[in-house]
Amino acid sequence: MSAPAKIAVYSVSDLKNTTDDALPNYLSSLQFKQSHKLTDVRLLLGYTAVLISGALFYFDWKQGWDVTKPYTLPAVVAYFILNGAFTWWIWRVERGVVFMGDVGGRKIRISSRTEKHKPIYFLTVDYDSEKGKPQEIQIQASFTRWFTSEGYFVAKPFQQWLASEVPLIGEQDPSNVVEEIGRGNVNEEKGMASGVGDGRSPPTRKRKV
Amino acid sequence: MLSALGGFQPRQLATQVLNFALVLSTAFMLWKGLSVVTNSPSPIVVVLSGSMEPAFQRGDLLFLWNRGMDTQIGEIVVYNVKGKDIPIVHRVVRRFGGGSTPLQILTKGDNNAADDTELYAHGQNYLNRVEDVIGSVVAFVPSVGYVTILLSEYPWLKTAMLGLMGLTVVLQRE
Repeated sequence: MSAPAKIAVYSVSDLKNTTDDALPNYLSSLQFKQSHKLTDVRLLLGYTAVLISGALFYFDWKQGWDVTKPYTLPAVVAYFILNGAFTWWIWRVERGVVFMGDVGGRKIRISSRTEKHKPIYFLTVDYDSEKGKPQEIQIQASFTRWFTSEGYFVAKPFQQWLASEVPLIGEQDPSNVVEEIGRGNVNEEKGMASGVGDGRSPPTRKRKV
Repeated sequence: MLSALGGFQPRQLATQVLNFALVLSTAFMLWKGLSVVTNSPSPIVVVLSGSMEPAFQRGDLLFLWNRGMDTQIGEIVVYNVKGKDIPIVHRVVRRFGGGSTPLQILTKGDNNAADDTELYAHGQNYLNRVEDVIGSVVAFVPSVGYVTILLSEYPWLKTAMLGLMGLTVVLQRE
């Protein structure tokens, strides 16, 4: 959240990417410990494939086709198996995970997605409840809540949204929990664009009852 | 624009670099896969000269097949001459041997007055089917290969294109 970057507010993927990046930053700033297991496996699969192809390229360039011919088929097969595993990992295993980690032994896993041409941020949150039971909740919010009309990300309302909607995050960051009535962003409810004039003050007012 | 790279976390940077590397390596491995299937070191070639007109024009893209070594007269083959690294596309006009002895062939460009003996390596009067030929032409697409002629005649275009490709892949996320 240092050096605020301006994005194009009409680009849903810009909105999503910026928010995806902000989410782990926020959770790490609390007591959450991030696990990079999924990313690391994906990187390992990808780079192994690239390494095989790089080795074949170098070998082929130095020795020529007649020498490399017997190694080419195994290398090509291995490459495409790894490449397939890489794709499978992204689509079937990661499935849009933006944060995986735990706090005090309680696991949390957050996946994000957007729908085409809709400025709505969908999150699926799997976490361990207070009793240690795994729970899943689906939450969604309009990007207008934490982006100004100029395209600047404002952290506060985003954090308030997460802390209020996800109990596990709320427990870690009680000061950002706001009651349903206090979050009222009148403009948003009326379906109007809720840009903030100066781009600095958060668009929501905390009004606890 | 480039400042976008500076803000990345190490894993994010590794991901972006990987995306670029995967684009290049997939293209290379598809090419190599095609090489294995066709048994040819260079399964797709671009016609560089007009020596086979009117059959092929400069810039036509040819698909080669190098299995089945019993090449007949009239087939169009692509061969490399030892010591020269530009493949030549010409038609087979004579064949000698075959069977238990190695098949030898003589080629000629349709648009050339004489056969290819002049083009072969010094002292070579025919081609060895197994050693010199990299495949027979089985299909072609007109003109689309002209881009590569431009790229090889103006090498800076190649650098510019590669740089542009790299930049796009690294900077965009979807």
